[in-house]
Amino acid sequence: MTIPSIEIRHLSHRLPSGGRMLTILDDINLAIAAGESVAILGPSGSGKSTLLAMMAGLDRPTAGEVLLNGEPIHNLSEDRLAILRRRNVGFVFQNFQLLANQTARENILLPLELAGESSPGDRADELLEQVGLMARGHHYPVQLSGGEQQRIALARAFATRPRILLADEPTGNLDGATGERILELLADLRRREGTTVVLVTHDVSVAELTDRAVHLRDGRIEREDNHPASGVITG
Amino acid sequence: MTPSVFLRHLHRESRGSRGRLVFFVACLAAGVASVVAVAGFSEGLDRGIRSEAKTLLAADLAVRGRQPIPEVIEAEIDRIAGAERTGVREMLTLVAAEVAAEKPLSATETTSLVEGFDDETPGRSLLVELKSIDGVYPFYGDLELEPTGHLSALLDDRSVVVAPEVLTRLGLTVGDGLRVGGERFEIVGVVLREPDRITGAMSLGPRVFVSAAGLARANLEQLGSRVNYRMLVRLPAEREAEIGSLMEQLGALLETDGRHRIESFTEAQPSLRKGLQRVGSYLGLVALLSLLIGGLGVAQTVRAWLAGRMDSIAVLKCLGYRPREILWLYLGQTAVLGALGSLVGVGLGIGLQASFTRLLAGALPVEHLEMWQPWSWSRGLILGVGVALLASLPPLVAAMRVPPIRVLRRDADPLPPSRTALGGAALILLASLIGLAAWQASSIWIGLLFTLGLIVVGVVLGLAALALVRAAARPRERSRLWFRQGLAALDRPGASTVAGIVALGLGVLALLTMFLVEFGLSSELARDLPKDAPTAFLVDIQKDQWPGVEELLHDERADQIDSVPMVMARITAIDGRQAAELREEVEAEEADQRPGAGGREAWALRREQRLTYLDQLPEDNQLISGELWGQPELAEISVEEEFARELGVELGSIVTLDIQGVALDLTVTSLREVDWGSFGINFFLVAEPGVLEDAPQTRVAAARLPEGREQHIQDVLAARFPNVTMIRTREVLEKVATMLTQLALGVRLLGGLTVLAGLAILAGAVSAGSIRRGAEVALLKTLGMTRRQVMASFATEYALVGFVAGCIGTVGGTVLAYVVLTQGMEVTWELHPWWLVGAVAATVVLAVVSGLLASVNALRRRPVEVLRSVTG
Repeated sequence: MTIPSIEIRHLSHRLPSGGRMLTILDDINLAIAAGESVAILGPSGSGKSTLLAMMAGLDRPTAGEVLLNGEPIHNLSEDRLAILRRRNVGFVFQNFQLLANQTARENILLPLELAGESSPGDRADELLEQVGLMARGHHYPVQLSGGEQQRIALARAFATRPRILLADEPTGNLDGATGERILELLADLRRREGTTVVLVTHDVSVAELTDRAVHLRDGRIEREDNHPASGVITG
Repeated sequence: MTPSVFLRHLHRESRGSRGRLVFFVACLAAGVASVVAVAGFSEGLDRGIRSEAKTLLAADLAVRGRQPIPEVIEAEIDRIAGAERTGVREMLTLVAAEVAAEKPLSATETTSLVEGFDDETPGRSLLVELKSIDGVYPFYGDLELEPTGHLSALLDDRSVVVAPEVLTRLGLTVGDGLRVGGERFEIVGVVLREPDRITGAMSLGPRVFVSAAGLARANLEQLGSRVNYRMLVRLPAEREAEIGSLMEQLGALLETDGRHRIESFTEAQPSLRKGLQRVGSYLGLVALLSLLIGGLGVAQTVRAWLAGRMDSIAVLKCLGYRPREILWLYLGQTAVLGALGSLVGVGLGIGLQASFTRLLAGALPVEHLEMWQPWSWSRGLILGVGVALLASLPPLVAAMRVPPIRVLRRDADPLPPSRTALGGAALILLASLIGLAAWQASSIWIGLLFTLGLIVVGVVLGLAALALVRAAARPRERSRLWFRQGLAALDRPGASTVAGIVALGLGVLALLTMFLVEFGLSSELARDLPKDAPTAFLVDIQKDQWPGVEELLHDERADQIDSVPMVMARITAIDGRQAAELREEVEAEEADQRPGAGGREAWALRREQRLTYLDQLPEDNQLISGELWGQPELAEISVEEEFARELGVELGSIVTLDIQGVALDLTVTSLREVDWGSFGINFFLVAEPGVLEDAPQTRVAAARLPEGREQHIQDVLAARFPNVTMIRTREVLEKVATMLTQLALGVRLLGGLTVLAGLAILAGAVSAGSIRRGAEVALLKTLGMTRRQVMASFATEYALVGFVAGCIGTVGGTVLAYVVLTQGMEVTWELHPWWLVGAVAATVVLAVVSGLLASVNALRRRPVEVLRSVTG
């Protein structure tokens, strides 16, 4: 039996709010195979982003387990988690989250240098080429359009060839056409690297581009839809 | 992470922080500048004294004392082949211009004087420091004379060489006559510079050089005269290395004597340097205080800077940065900024040091003050970077706890701080603070006390600030909108009200303390003397001269004339223990900076004691224990209470005195409190009548002279009793005050820097929040508030900060100055309530002005522009 890339067992998360406990996630069980693309769908406040955060060890669950490539991560120290992310996880965010004081190329260089890549410059140039922004590498984020910023964010996320890519509403701040181009690029990069992709969205049409859609409501998995070879972000 | 990757990331990440540079640098620079100026100045002075040691001594070795140098010592020196020695005698005396019969001082004076003293027509007189040289002088350094040449060539037994001041004050020129000890001398030259005259500012009179034969002719060296004897020695170059053993040898010869001290150029003015070191330690702490206040500003700047970097830190954590790598990344930047701020501070400090040197030019013992002070500069750099790092530690430790989930949820709470990290940071802060203070003060105890004091004041200021914030949080619906807004701003999240108040309050405290101490001291000196206080003291009056002097004072309508006999003595033992042994013990303790056992102090044992004998105590003396002359079977002595502590004696103690070779045991039977402020003639030691009558003695007199007649009486005295010296109280006090003013100016300059640091912090704190403030202003304007109302609300906020800081700083400064003045310096305390009100008002004004100046940009921006930049 192959080990799932991401496995979540009986995951619950509760937060104190206004004198009582608020349930964000409630007994979530989910296994995502290596190379699979999964969309997490749901209305605002359904717990999508929190679930994504748990998968990368950005937050600690109240109960349950998170395993990446079979290794439990929910009880790792801050340092171990950082090193785990450095090597295995890439991120794409709705608001791009590029470091404003670093150029596009430097943003891509950062994870490569952290991971101790032998020739980070070559890899950064290769990625700039792949996302079609070779000429804009020396620009700062503020000098780039939203679409360009997200392309750089994608390049940064794929830089160290992570096994897992987590994307939080990657097209949420982009217009339709630009968003589509970003998804195509995401699919393209994923194909090259064979990355597992988990994508949070509230847009059904985006979810349909993945292998599987997990619908959340009030912190619980409501249902799952499979879209075999249905769209762009598939294997 | 490899070092090269770390450095690359450090460089890139620093791009976001360059805007903070100005305040960071300003906060640190002021403090570092004071540290460098103080360290550079005292280090330069110390090095100057050491490098000019031979010049300042004018010899390789000197033996000094109040008694002639023993012949055994002279013989010992004469045995060294190639060694030379010169005898020097110095004393205070009155000299007078010789008046030619055809040019009287003024008609009235001449008439009265001629009538009174026949042919002894007095010229204008002056108190001078007379110096007689018997041999080659100086061995090292230059004695600048006009006309140029050797002193010995100019002087004979009928001539003197004088300082230019003697000529100007007496209206004489070279070639005129000067009466010294009643004898006529011709002024044959002027002395412009003397190598071993080091305490220029404290001298009681200008210099007059006379030859040994001349001094003998003037007949000033009489019994009981206050003469300082010195023997200067030059060793042949090949024997210089043996100076240590020679000193030991001479010391052994002098051991039983105890009246002479040996100095060599290798020690380079130990007591002067010790005094300077003490001043240096005090100023060093003042400088450290301004640096620490700057550190508070640094902490605020770093906190505001990190607040703006929270999202980036979260992203870095997502990308795999470990918390401690985040700490190193920002600590590295703080170190770079700290180094930059310190470098600017070092530059300023060098400038300040130069101005100190210029300011104190006349009062400095050395000719040339070295400006090249790499050690002081490093000290400034180390302290600056150290304080920057320490100040940044708490916000940086907090930055480590930025949760990476912020990338998804901006309102995510910071992770709970680790107790170990917090405890560790607090411990490092405390230990470093004590360390820095101890380093600056060169004493671990002072370092501890300084830190403790700082913590107490900081806590009080912090509590007051919290109280203000809490009070501000209460709704006040009835007050005006701008006032409400201003109050509310103190309590808004991220407002650095507490830190701002603590920093500003400490600044006010430091400056006010220095101001009050300096003012208290100088006004004490300048204070009108008590109505019946004597205006002049007459010393060295021979026993048989007193009736004549007294008659003269009566004739001149002087009142409150008082005179007592004075006997010079040395303490040789206390309760059977040798004074030399006790002295060594206390000196060892003093060297360790521990107070002597039972408060005993070396100076009390070392000094030449002056005693009198009285039947009844003067009015300004009060018996506090024991009984005056109540035990006929004992030879009794009464000791001033404080001096008793310093000598280490109590009722019943036996003090053994050596009076001109005769030993005498006296029992302490009473202790007295003396009101020194009365300026009467008072003694630490008073013997009962019948014990000292036959001892060799002189008389001391005090009197109130009619106003405007002091100079005239001095002139007559100089003419009739040339060996008697008159010291005018007011003039002496004025001289001391002048010197203190010079010192105070330097201290005030440093205090000014402390306040500058405080202001930089306030401005820095205000501007740190300027982006948020910009948004706030835009919002308020959008809601219909006018710019004037916004300004009024800002002014309210800053005024409250200034008011609280001003009040606590003023109270703290007043208490501290009170303690320093009354306990440390025993100066009468006088409270000036209006000054304190003024200090608070000035703090409010400064806070409002600097706060508004730093908000100018925020106030000027248009609503739409600001809102766009904040949301976009």
